[in-house]
Amino acid sequence: MSAQTATDGVLVLVILLNLGMLAVSRLATGVRLFALQSLLLALLPLAEGASETGTPGVHAILIAGGTLGLKVVLIPSVLLRIIRTGEIHREVEPFLGFAASVFAGALLVIGSFALAARLPLPTPPLSKLIVPVALSTLLLGLLTLVSRLKAITQVLGFLVLENGVFIMGLLLLKQTPLLVELGILLDLFVGVFLMAIVVYHIRREFDHMDTHLLDALKES
Amino acid sequence: MTVFRALAAVPEAALVLALPPLLLGIIVKTKAWFAGRVGPPWLQPYYDLRKLLRKGAVYSRTTTWVFRAGPVVNLAALLTAATLTPIVSSSSLVGFAGDVILVAYLLALGRMFTVLSAMDTGSSFEGMGASREVTFGTMSEPALFLSLIVLAIATKSLQLSEMVGPQLYGAWHAAGPAILLVVGALLIVLLTETCRVPVDDPATHLELTMIHEVMVLDHSGPDFAFITYGAALKFLLLGSILLHVALPHPGWPLWVDAPLRLVELAVLAAVVGVIESSMARLRLNRVPLLLAGATVLAALAAVLILTGSTS
Amino acid sequence: MTLLLLVAVPLVFGALCLVLPTSPLRMAALVAGAWAHLAVVIRSWPAAEAPANYELVGLDPLGHLFLTLISVLFAATAVYFVGYHRKRLISQRVFQACTLALLSALTALCISQHLGLLWVALESASLAATPLIYFRLGPRALEATWKFLLMNSVGVALALLGIFSVAIATTRHDGVIVLTVADLVRHATRLDPSWLRVGFLLGLVGFGTKMGLAPLHSWKPDAYGEAPPPVAALMAGGVTLGAFAGILRLFQVCSAAGLGAFAGSWLIAFGLLSLATSAVFVVGSVDYRRLLAYTSVEHMGVLVVGVGLGGAGSYAGMLHAMHNMLNKGALFFLAGFLWRLHESNRIRDVRGTLRRSPPAGILLLAALCATCGLPPFGMFFSELGIVLAAAQAGRWWVLGLFVLTLAVVFVGVMTAALPMVFGDPPDAAAVRPEQAPLRPWRRVTMLSAAAVLVALGLGLGACQPPAVREALLRAADSVNRPQAASVAAASVTKVQP
Repeated sequence: MSAQTATDGVLVLVILLNLGMLAVSRLATGVRLFALQSLLLALLPLAEGASETGTPGVHAILIAGGTLGLKVVLIPSVLLRIIRTGEIHREVEPFLGFAASVFAGALLVIGSFALAARLPLPTPPLSKLIVPVALSTLLLGLLTLVSRLKAITQVLGFLVLENGVFIMGLLLLKQTPLLVELGILLDLFVGVFLMAIVVYHIRREFDHMDTHLLDALKES
Repeated sequence: MTVFRALAAVPEAALVLALPPLLLGIIVKTKAWFAGRVGPPWLQPYYDLRKLLRKGAVYSRTTTWVFRAGPVVNLAALLTAATLTPIVSSSSLVGFAGDVILVAYLLALGRMFTVLSAMDTGSSFEGMGASREVTFGTMSEPALFLSLIVLAIATKSLQLSEMVGPQLYGAWHAAGPAILLVVGALLIVLLTETCRVPVDDPATHLELTMIHEVMVLDHSGPDFAFITYGAALKFLLLGSILLHVALPHPGWPLWVDAPLRLVELAVLAAVVGVIESSMARLRLNRVPLLLAGATVLAALAAVLILTGSTS
Repeated sequence: MTLLLLVAVPLVFGALCLVLPTSPLRMAALVAGAWAHLAVVIRSWPAAEAPANYELVGLDPLGHLFLTLISVLFAATAVYFVGYHRKRLISQRVFQACTLALLSALTALCISQHLGLLWVALESASLAATPLIYFRLGPRALEATWKFLLMNSVGVALALLGIFSVAIATTRHDGVIVLTVADLVRHATRLDPSWLRVGFLLGLVGFGTKMGLAPLHSWKPDAYGEAPPPVAALMAGGVTLGAFAGILRLFQVCSAAGLGAFAGSWLIAFGLLSLATSAVFVVGSVDYRRLLAYTSVEHMGVLVVGVGLGGAGSYAGMLHAMHNMLNKGALFFLAGFLWRLHESNRIRDVRGTLRRSPPAGILLLAALCATCGLPPFGMFFSELGIVLAAAQAGRWWVLGLFVLTLAVVFVGVMTAALPMVFGDPPDAAAVRPEQAPLRPWRRVTMLSAAAVLVALGLGLGACQPPAVREALLRAADSVNRPQAASVAAASVTKVQP
């Protein structure tokens, strides 16, 4: 199996995991799906590196390792911990029903393929799927963000969105200096860390993690 | 070659006719094995059919000819579809461009008559089953059609035996991810259409949860034999389409091809048995989500193959 | 060396804030940090040569101008905070450290020439700002923090995607193009235009979220309303400038690549949308800090419309950026003062400031007039400059909408503000007796910080020292590089009184 076929397969699985995250109602399952998605994404830089020289370079290994440690182990375990200590385990009554959000998600995926078809890359990439999958991951993350109420799910939506950006970044493995990428990972970590703190405070303040009760601030 | 093929067609047809109850037997045996029981003999479905065929049928006075026509039309439609579908070998008995539409509509025709005869009894239970059957049918059909469209594009053919034939072997190389998604969608369609767990449970007899079984409560004797045999035949049809897509044989000679296919069918039946033993039936209101998932899988496959995005 | 100092000075003093034992010492460290930073910035003038192509950091005219503005604002805020500060607020050392960290991050943002570095600095700035918003604790502050954090994180993610798209645009060229502004501009014609367009749009949306451009402005009234007023001043005057710098960097690349018209029209579209949104919400506002937040949305709209028009509009935009900083700083300082006086954010609770505290009343009236763009305040000239630029370019629709929304905002702000300034003060009974009166020195510190900013706004509007004018012109010129410097300068002279 060549690096290209492997990349294609992984990217398709990534979209499926996105749609799966839209369909599940258990928060913990959603976090696990996210961890699985990140695990798949961590493999991609290795495939990308391997396609060039046969063995992935130090740069690719560092990125993969960073993603693995951060998005597969650390962030999911923090989120799972918050869920475990909380009382609420399910997303109930989202703005958009589960089947409806899966269909909306499918439409977004189709839209991103259509968009990507109009944006040819200047140089042929490892896999033609990278741009459409990045766009659809991004849009599905946004969809999760706007259509769900639980703070944890919204954090999850943001993380999925970041994964979309990560996929796009695969096109640039050779260009971007390592410094910037590490900075990106670090910032992501601190951002989610802060979000976790805020989630924790929301729970203490309101006794649950439902953000739609956060509606005191509005034009009256 | 053609002479040999023509000669082989007769035993092949006989094999196809004889095979379906055996698959049911394999599923039941697998489930029994998983539950730690011995289970009924492998050939139990044949005995059941023989018993049913010997019995007389009882008809309610409120029913009309539609009730009697239901099982017969269903079986006839499925048998016709079987002639168009490659089952044990990689070619079908009959085939022409566009026959895939006919196959899909024959399946739908069979379903329509089953539903009509269920409603003809005037029983509210059967009406409920019919309503569920139609609901899930309408949701699984888009998945089936989108999958067929993907196959048609991948093989550039509209003839079922070619769409799932050896050409697919090359298409796997060209558009692997798309076809993999189609396999997933077809598996869900198979489980739905043949009323298996996690959509329906063929073993249950609680009216509130049944779908297929509740529709055929009033049938008896030979009619019920036709229905049971028809359900098994449907499993064989859809199962072999699934297998031909998932594991295309690159034009091997018949004496390799056909026995291998038989083994694969047996394995598929065992896999379905494993799924049934390891999963619980979904709540009725979660089933649409599963079917939506199948449709989305197939739609995604269509997008992949239409944009030619994969390698 | 100067650059290193600029980033390091606030960080060192911030660390000092974390370890110093007593409150006055920490406060002194905060002030010293901000003023030391200002001193280094002033010493760095006049700017050196433009940064070389591959330098990751450097002081180009645009960054240097913004850096100076931000530093002035932080120096004023540090002084103001001495008066504003209260003992009962918890975790003040974290607050002070985060303020200085924010200054450091914004400095890094202004001096970074590399788009990736710029992004990292911007993300760090919003992370440093988050604890500042949540400073007051309680459910309302929490809600504001959550919205801020979530929307800004999405914004910076989109901005990052935009930067990636620009990077993808560079791959059309065989050689290596570093993602520094200078190098991108040098190779602008070799970039892939469609990906550059995508990159600019994503960057505009992403940085625009941080800047508070409609339609992604909804965090702004919440955050500005709930954060302590000095923090709101820093964000409205400082962080928005940082995000604007990000947009301008991308705009520089686009206009060098010949996509100036495309990028400009998107800027104008977002700007006019922001103006219209703020016009809708300003009228009938009940909370004066939220009202100020919507005027901030309006001024962001003015900024991007100015740059979008190009030519003389860019100069007006730079002028507006400067006056926005001065004005928003002063207004939020005064809002903090009013809050200490009335313990309320509601407009109808604040009455007759002129009689209760004449200096505060005069300053408030002046600052509100300035924010509406009345002469002789600086914003009058910048907004007039944009109107003239629109007329010059023959964009009558833009001009009409621009003037209309400004008029609506003027009416909305004045109907809310006049009773606040004049009106009858609330009865003595309404003023709770247990409320501790403001100590005179606190009063003086807070008001004098505001007064300095108002006076600067008035002075720099009425007469412009040549050095300031030169700096603004050079920054405007670097934004629309394709246009000749002399053209921009010539057309601007007409605007000046």
